[in-house]
Amino acid sequence: MIKLTDRRFVLLLLAPAGCFLVIFVAYPLLLLLRNSFYEVSLYALNDGVYVGWDNFVKALSSPRVRESAGRTLNYTLIALSAEFVLGFGAALLFNALGKRSEILRTIFAFPLMIPPIVAGLLWRFMLIDNIGIVNHILETLGIIGDASDISWLGDRDLVLFSVALPNIWLTTSFVALVLYTGLQNIPAELIEAAKIDGANNWQRFHRVTVPLLRPVIAVVLILRGIDAARAFDMIWIQTEGGPRFASEILSIHIYRAMIRYGNVGEASAIATLFMLGMVLASALAFYVIWGRGSSQS
Amino acid sequence: MKSSLASRTLLTLLVALIVLVYGFPYAFLVSTSLKSPQDALAIPPTLLPQQLSLENYANIGEHPTVQRSFGNSAIIALLSTVITIALAVPAAYAVARYGAWAGKAFLFVVLITRLIPPVAVGIPLFVIMRALGLIDTHLGVALAHSTISVPLGIWLLASFMESIPRELEEAARVDGCSRFGALLRIIIPVASGGIAVTAIFVFLASWNEFLFSLLLSSTGVKTAPIAIAEFKTQYSIQWGTMTSLAVLFSFPVIIFSLLMQKRIIAGLTVGAVKG
Repeated sequence: MIKLTDRRFVLLLLAPAGCFLVIFVAYPLLLLLRNSFYEVSLYALNDGVYVGWDNFVKALSSPRVRESAGRTLNYTLIALSAEFVLGFGAALLFNALGKRSEILRTIFAFPLMIPPIVAGLLWRFMLIDNIGIVNHILETLGIIGDASDISWLGDRDLVLFSVALPNIWLTTSFVALVLYTGLQNIPAELIEAAKIDGANNWQRFHRVTVPLLRPVIAVVLILRGIDAARAFDMIWIQTEGGPRFASEILSIHIYRAMIRYGNVGEASAIATLFMLGMVLASALAFYVIWGRGSSQS
Repeated sequence: MKSSLASRTLLTLLVALIVLVYGFPYAFLVSTSLKSPQDALAIPPTLLPQQLSLENYANIGEHPTVQRSFGNSAIIALLSTVITIALAVPAAYAVARYGAWAGKAFLFVVLITRLIPPVAVGIPLFVIMRALGLIDTHLGVALAHSTISVPLGIWLLASFMESIPRELEEAARVDGCSRFGALLRIIIPVASGGIAVTAIFVFLASWNEFLFSLLLSSTGVKTAPIAIAEFKTQYSIQWGTMTSLAVLFSFPVIIFSLLMQKRIIAGLTVGAVKG
């Protein structure tokens, strides 16, 4: 019998998950990369004609892809900044309340559990122009004259913001709770020491809290940024990318190119570029928020 | 002292108000589902049902595909949970206990898998599943869902296992327990709380997943999110029934979450805070 050394034991433990990840994650990525260089039809996925960089050239020169990329960026920025500002605000309020915030935090955590598709549907329902509750509330408050004044999901200039609403609603609590946990982990003595040294509220926040929270902020922003950029189901259920592509972000564009139009090759090239972009953006965000912070201290 | 008490109360009230506004949309969803189908579309909309009615729920009975989809979702989510836990527990143990290289490598894999838009690997997964004869089967969709949850599961479980003192296994090993024995008899029982939390996460991730289900299931194993989404286009929009479906679909999620509220939040935040 072969002697079971530590090394062999570790390999044995890792092998099943490793094999799974190779077959169902690494191999699909290779296939994606391969498809990017082929002209592939949806009906003959195993065949295809090698076309070199053609798909990438087409993708990069297509105005619709560029517009989708811009919208993906805008959507991510809208969702991320709203979630971060609201979430950080809520975390600070909870932190100020301390232990007494427990019940409120529990309720606040609630949207965290709501299925994205339900969130998308719910907001779609609330945002309907004439019968939706949002416009009705705005009308009652006198902010708009008539309940059909704002067409949240029909107005091309507004729709990208409207489809971000369920995302913001769903994940602000995640941001708040993670930042709250981070705030709770800051030693109270540090804040006290700053107080004794005569630092005012703003200085304590700016000079002590934020720098100490930097790693947590970095992780939250990167995780949420990636998730927002990859969003599909919430937007799909609200608008399917409409009206006239105004809410078509990259993942929806790729889906459409692949499934509706059957351009598997070009869609794969766009997806490859999209992933590269996300890797670069995450690395940059990581470097700027985290890396710079630790070299300062 | 008095003013501090007053300002504290004011602060509590402010936060309570924010929380109320925040919770409003879901309350409105539940309220709408309990209206009659006509009242659900009344102009202007009312906050509360004029008259409690279960008609929206009863209407689901007319749509057998939608009903079956809930069963499909449950089977797929259970399968995905079993697959993920079976693969992730040993891997997490290896990451937590033996060698930093494995841990780092796996954390890197987790980061990479998080960057992959599901739409990018959808078609390749379709090709692989077809080659394996798993298109439109529960197992096929469950495997696709597991591509998201295996890395996540390894990450979560490793952080739970790292907090178990090494002395426990060392004592067992001195007493003549094999390496596998230590994992089975010591680590798994001690980490069972963490494993339960991870299992619930995995179950919910699969329950909520949309895109892989859309690509890999047709009529046979259509999951609930897909059936609900199609419900919209197929029958114009019956908002009343739609709200009742949304409530029913979120029901298991909410039950699980309420049962394990604290642990879920701890689980969600542990990865992020530990970085």
